[in-house]
Amino acid sequence: MKPSRRKTTVVAIAGAAVLALIATGCSTAGGSTADTNKPITLTLATFNDFGYTDALIKEFEKAHPNITVTHKKAATSNDARTNMFTKLGAGSGLADVEAIEVDWLAELMQYSNKFVPVTASDTKNRWVKWKTAAATDKKGNLIGYGTDIGPEAICYRSDLFAKAGLPTDPAAVAKLLAGDWSNYFKVGDTFAAANTGSAWFDSAGATYQGVINQVKNAYEKNDGSVIATTNPEVKKAFTSVLTASKTLSSHLQQWSPDWTAGLANGSYATMLCPGWMLGVISGNAPDVKDWKIANVFPGGGGNWGGSYLTVPKQSAYPKEASELADWLTSPAQQLKAFANAGTFPSQSATYTNKALTGATNAYFNNAETGAILIDRSKAITVAPFKGVKYFPINDALQKALTRVEDGSQSIEDSWKQFTDDVKALG
Amino acid sequence: MSSPTLVKPGRSPRRIAFSQAVGRWDIRFSPYLYISPFFLLFAVVGLFPLLYTGWVSVHDWNLIGGQGDFVGVKNFAFILGQSQFWIALRNTFSIFLLSTIPQLAIAIIIAAALDTNLRARTFWRMSVLLPYIVMPVAVTLIFSNLFGDRYGLVNTVLGQLGFDAIRFHTDVVASHLAIATMVNFRWTGYNALILLAAMQAVPRDYYEAATIDGAGRIRQFFSITIPQLRPTLIFVVITSTIGGLQIFDEPRLFDQYGQGGANHQWMTLTIYLYNLGWGQLNFGRAAAVAWLLFLIIVVIGLINLAITRRIASNEGTRK
Amino acid sequence: MSAGATSAPRPSVSAPLSLRDRLRARRARAVIAQRPGPLVYGILTAVFVAAVFPLYWSFLIGSGDAGTINDQARSWIPGGNFLANAAKVLENGSVNFWKAIGNSFIVSTVVSTSVVFFSTLAGYSFAKLRFRGKKGLLVFVIATMAVPTQLGVVPLFIVMSQLGWTGTLGAVIVPGLVTAFGVFWMAQYISQALPDELVEAGRIDGASMFQTFWYIGLPSARPAAAMLALFTFITTWTNFFWPFIVLDPQNPTLPVALQLLQGNYFVDYSVVLAGVLLATLPLFLLFAVAGRQLVAGIMQGAVKG
Repeated sequence: MKPSRRKTTVVAIAGAAVLALIATGCSTAGGSTADTNKPITLTLATFNDFGYTDALIKEFEKAHPNITVTHKKAATSNDARTNMFTKLGAGSGLADVEAIEVDWLAELMQYSNKFVPVTASDTKNRWVKWKTAAATDKKGNLIGYGTDIGPEAICYRSDLFAKAGLPTDPAAVAKLLAGDWSNYFKVGDTFAAANTGSAWFDSAGATYQGVINQVKNAYEKNDGSVIATTNPEVKKAFTSVLTASKTLSSHLQQWSPDWTAGLANGSYATMLCPGWMLGVISGNAPDVKDWKIANVFPGGGGNWGGSYLTVPKQSAYPKEASELADWLTSPAQQLKAFANAGTFPSQSATYTNKALTGATNAYFNNAETGAILIDRSKAITVAPFKGVKYFPINDALQKALTRVEDGSQSIEDSWKQFTDDVKALG
Repeated sequence: MSSPTLVKPGRSPRRIAFSQAVGRWDIRFSPYLYISPFFLLFAVVGLFPLLYTGWVSVHDWNLIGGQGDFVGVKNFAFILGQSQFWIALRNTFSIFLLSTIPQLAIAIIIAAALDTNLRARTFWRMSVLLPYIVMPVAVTLIFSNLFGDRYGLVNTVLGQLGFDAIRFHTDVVASHLAIATMVNFRWTGYNALILLAAMQAVPRDYYEAATIDGAGRIRQFFSITIPQLRPTLIFVVITSTIGGLQIFDEPRLFDQYGQGGANHQWMTLTIYLYNLGWGQLNFGRAAAVAWLLFLIIVVIGLINLAITRRIASNEGTRK
Repeated sequence: MSAGATSAPRPSVSAPLSLRDRLRARRARAVIAQRPGPLVYGILTAVFVAAVFPLYWSFLIGSGDAGTINDQARSWIPGGNFLANAAKVLENGSVNFWKAIGNSFIVSTVVSTSVVFFSTLAGYSFAKLRFRGKKGLLVFVIATMAVPTQLGVVPLFIVMSQLGWTGTLGAVIVPGLVTAFGVFWMAQYISQALPDELVEAGRIDGASMFQTFWYIGLPSARPAAAMLALFTFITTWTNFFWPFIVLDPQNPTLPVALQLLQGNYFVDYSVVLAGVLLATLPLFLLFAVAGRQLVAGIMQGAVKG
């Protein structure tokens, strides 16, 4: 073999390798719209537990033989948010159907033109009004298919209530806790006085969330200007919850391993209970028999969380993806999701459906969870305004609450740092 | 492959001249050709991003919206005015020191233990290296569990011994210790082997001479071994500076939220960078943090270099 | 960057030793060569326990059930659920464990092959060839070793986005294709291990530059190249920051997939820690096969690096 030949070959290979490496990335961009019979795979991205079981998804696949659905779950809503914005910025990489949470919906609405508008036949009246309104942009395009809402009740440990000499029957507990937040804290004082070794509620963060969700404009005015640090209602909620938490809270941050363990260990006797929380409790404390739900909520009604499905324009199969989102958020499927995970429907038609009104939950001592949550949703009088800055401000406030709860700062210092943090968002 | 018979006996002068020219070009340009893939690729994936970071840092730049107005040093001024930045800087250095100093001290002891006439030498050497193959993400998941505030093993044991629980996810120092422990777990054995090699390079007749002079083992260790290790120690410190100041995996996965704690107790600079860029979508500010961290690392690298030089020249004069 | 302790001054031993001195020296050597006492074995055993305990703990919890972690009365003997928990990890649709292993394998293999090839090529050139500007370029290589390239994530992300590479393995592979350390390491090794005469001889025999590299340079560099491959493989395999940013859970590498386990809605530590062990297994196998080489590699790196 001739020397020079050999050399050029190898150099050519080396060069080609570099080119190939550069080329491999390029070829992945771009998609195609498929004809109806070509087999395609749709990805569905959710977080926490939407109640979309494999069986439910199989149903969709059966009705659409050419479509396979891969379901991926982000760990938390925060992770899903980061992923959403990152991929939105990248211009690719989002799933065909992406779940979003109401807390960062407003942030996303700034980029509503990057989503396929909802065109379901019953778009106008499928969901409760405020649910649809929040996901409609200035041009009148609705970009989110409402899944669930989070009407809140109170969940409690009847064994701990008994230990403290409080009533244990759900109806009696509802009566006991009827009233405003100061009543809830007052009953907590009675509970604490009994020295059961458990706390009254889980964390200041969760409790605060219940309080602030009853405020119309907590952090921002309707025009988007930030009032979080000057709004007396925010300061009051912050201070009152933290003052109560000193003696009443188990100081376990929500979603931390200790908090999760606390669900089973009886670290706290009550917690605010939006529909989707029912699944969290039964999943984390499967062996506990004493969790119950009372048809009551301090200060009336409140909504915590709730989500939408969206179809990003990045999707290679917008038509099929829309079909999937439409199907999953139809009243019939949402009722199944509710049965699976307690995600309370945002679809108004379900509120008269037997499957919801008659729904009971074996884990919660066969409580009529459907009827209770319908009641709780009717009690909601305020639809809080959540603007572009809602998520980061609320995140900063949650951290401020934790700082006091874990003893690293006083209420005043923590509030001061919160105001600085809000300024830093500017 | 090619048998001699295939070579034609007579070559034309032109062909010889041509092949000589090829040979000259070969000699002259091959060296550059061989190093060029490295330099080209490095320029694209190493140098360019760093320079481009500078470009991004002087602009308003949103992750989704992309490049905005030129803002000069506004992003830097903003970052330097943030208490969060200084806290992150403090945390980064604190974790770095907590994971370097004890690590080296223990590594020296392990190396000294390995530098003896051991039975089953290979087994011991491999056993100290075992943690190195556990990826940081896995190490963090294990240790976050062990360091659980209320129900973690460490606090359970402390409780049984009658001590108060340590609040690993609340106290600044405790959280740093926990994170440093993860780093130390993975790297102590690795560094022990580096130091072991350096120990073995110490000429044995030093020890013989010392033994003749009646110096004990401990004395020998401090008067011969440690001074001889100094250059290696500096090398280890330098290499761990570059990585240590960019620490991300361990603090990121230390709790569920990944933001470095409610009071930024263990928020390092890289976490801060990530939060700014991918949490607040503010690439301009994230790039400013990247540049500041880059400068810090370079400055420390230069200080290290100066110290190394100094020590090297000191040794030179002592000779 | 020279860490070698080899430049240390040697004591002068020129004076002839008396018989007595020689006897004492022999005794001294015997003292040094004697087996270490229980203290040394005690220290090493403690280190061994510290190295193994976290893994054992993972197995202990990973072989129990969801309640094991909070069970104060748990025993120190593993339960029988490890395989069941491991199966839960493998079946978890959002974690994509198998895909993650495959991806990590592809990324680590391509990156280490590329690093070794380009480093050997450049290292050989620096060590054995003469060319203008060599010294300056080598200093540049050494200087770039101290450059934290990881900090270029912001623009790298912007570029990858514009190329449409985010979420693809290419986005993780390309930034790792070369390392300054690799070049430095190979240059160091080749300059020592390959005698100049051999290169000269090759040239005189009429081999082209590349043939000389291929038939003489490359074989002599093989031990160092193997080490470099091994360490690059491990580093790439364990890398988290950049893959975490640029990949998505649908198409992850192993560390990216692994961290998903912790954040789940129900944190079942028996499953999390079973996953941790599963993820550690591939490198553990590598360690079982090549652990000796790893030890040797680290020790050589110290003397030469």
